Amino acid sequence: MPISRGTLPRKAVGAAVPVVLAALTLTACGGGGGGTSADGKVAGDISFQTWNLRANYKDYFNGLIAQFEKEYPDVRVKWIDQPADHYADKLSADAAGGTMPDVVNVSPDLAYPLARAGVLTNLDKEPASAKYRGEYTPEAWQANEMPGLNGGYAFPWYLNTGPLFYNKALFAQAGLDPDRPPKTYDELFADADAMARHSGGKVATLAATPAIEDFGRYGVRLMNADASEFTYNEPKGVELLNRYKQLYTSGGLDSTALTNGPEESGQKFLEQKVAMNPGSAHDLSNFKENAPTLYKNLGITDAPNNTGHPNMYVMGLGISSTSRHKAAAIAFAHFVTDKRNQESFAHKVAIFPSTKGSLDEPYWTRDDGTDEGRVRVAAARMLKGAVNYTPVVMSDEMKTVLQNQVALALQGKKSPKQALDDAVAQSDRLLKQS
Amino acid sequence: MRASRIWGRALRYAVLLAVLVITVGPFLWQLSTSLKGRTEDIYTFPPRLLPRQPTLGNYKGVADIIPVWDYALNSLTVAVTNVVTNLVGASLAGYALARLRFRGRRAAALAFVLALLVPLESVVVAQFTLMRQLDLNNTLIAVVLPGCVGAMNVLLMRNAFGQLPYETEEAAVIDGANVWQRFVRIALPSVKGTLAVVAIFSFMGSWDDFLWPLIVLSDSSKFTLTVGLNYLHGTFSNNQRLVAAGTIIAVAPLIAMFACLQRYFFRGVGEGAVKG
Repeated sequence: MPISRGTLPRKAVGAAVPVVLAALTLTACGGGGGGTSADGKVAGDISFQTWNLRANYKDYFNGLIAQFEKEYPDVRVKWIDQPADHYADKLSADAAGGTMPDVVNVSPDLAYPLARAGVLTNLDKEPASAKYRGEYTPEAWQANEMPGLNGGYAFPWYLNTGPLFYNKALFAQAGLDPDRPPKTYDELFADADAMARHSGGKVATLAATPAIEDFGRYGVRLMNADASEFTYNEPKGVELLNRYKQLYTSGGLDSTALTNGPEESGQKFLEQKVAMNPGSAHDLSNFKENAPTLYKNLGITDAPNNTGHPNMYVMGLGISSTSRHKAAAIAFAHFVTDKRNQESFAHKVAIFPSTKGSLDEPYWTRDDGTDEGRVRVAAARMLKGAVNYTPVVMSDEMKTVLQNQVALALQGKKSPKQALDDAVAQSDRLLKQS
Repeated sequence: MRASRIWGRALRYAVLLAVLVITVGPFLWQLSTSLKGRTEDIYTFPPRLLPRQPTLGNYKGVADIIPVWDYALNSLTVAVTNVVTNLVGASLAGYALARLRFRGRRAAALAFVLALLVPLESVVVAQFTLMRQLDLNNTLIAVVLPGCVGAMNVLLMRNAFGQLPYETEEAAVIDGANVWQRFVRIALPSVKGTLAVVAIFSFMGSWDDFLWPLIVLSDSSKFTLTVGLNYLHGTFSNNQRLVAAGTIIAVAPLIAMFACLQRYFFRGVGEGAVKG
């Protein structure tokens, strides 16, 4: 299933919200204090927690740790890997119990509650870590900066973005040129309309309702400057939702789109009932393995955007604020995310390094003729200037609020304007509570 | 008259078949996916149930990615311990609630009912901090401990014991049997069915549990099967065939357990239900 790191937490975190909050109140009273100076000697035992990377990349991480321990003989690194589901629950329990690993794999939305509870180190405040800031692309560092908390809370690690995949066979059947996929939003909506008319509403072009990233890419301003209020109900946002509504009525949006998650829409694409689906480079192996016939007809194009900035997802490595060997933890987190090691990891799996200059290497600029190479180069090109649209303060509950209101608008039970106004009002209320 | 009876029977079978398809269908689908070869489409429409190139390679693949037998052993340890503690604890507590007269008996029974209403998710962090204070986090003991005597099981046993006729026990009292002897010799043998139900429920409960073991264990060598199998949902690509094979491995012991105990199971379900 085309689960990218960015979409995965949507499913996994759902039930976690109350637990996270409970954990926060607990740590708020019990936490604080502890931890050692970050400028001390690089020595001691540290633990390093990744998120579901053990199964396929065990050798890479064991090699990485061995190398680091050779460079710093006084440090012992213990590697822990957590399974895919309920990662947020695990983090919040560890935060509450004071058992947070020294170096921990987080995405910005996972880092935000932890940073607010004071469990993560502000890397911009520690000279030992702040000095590395210049090694990463500014967009990647900024993605881990938490609003209202003055600083970055995780070393940028791997990035992900993806092109839009399309099914050439379905395009040809609808009388569209399979080699001229839509490039702009206008073309996208026009093609979807044509596809729906030709197939009598049987073949849809898109399978998912617009999520917050889609609003961002369309050029809608999502939040005000200090991230205290949502603003996606501005006219531009209403315009996007209106277009989606027309699409839904004409059959260009899959009829089950209202309840489709990223997994379901990916599956519809695999079943060849939907002509286009956003994805990332690692979806290729999924298509190859699970739907060989689709793979033969696969087309790849850039996802349209009105802002000049494509969307990206960011992973990072946070440092526990109560770590007993903070200097060693920072040294190790930097080691894992430095240019050489990020690039070697990105050669193993279809993700992208967040270090400055890495994407100018030939591996990411020159098309080697394979499909993987094409997607890799296309995605790397998109990543230049790509930003993480999803606001870090937007909890899963707020994402669900938006999804529900969008569904009401598409069904015609509310006007798009009303639906977005309501979604913003509810999200703002949730934001104030937290 | 006769025709309508035939129609009635046909309808009954049709409904039963439909229910069978709904309940067994997904399982068969997983089984078929786990046997499909690498070059086959998984998502076809209409779905194809019989694999074209059946292979056991996916099961081997699961064992290559995760130490599946170690995880299965951990799960088995946890589940068997859980069954034993639940059988002993729930039958003792259930007998006390049903047969012994003591102050606060009703309040105690009520406490068990209230315990049923607390969802695990809401106390999981508190449980975790407790385990940490006991220095038990990251051990299999911590996995077993919170569920070692289930409130539901206590209530099931209480109802089963409550249903036994007083006369037999009174006769035993006259013969000079004390409480322990009545419990072991008279009461327990009469509720075998409910004991089987408790055994199956607690086995299934701990075998399927995901959230708690995930939170309390941090060392991946101690993981139980359900947590470990989650590694098969790869981060960057998901091989449905491996996931399906993992699911079958996880479900197989449950089916075996049910097959062994089903004779008692159905008796037990009836036993508890008469006097709810």
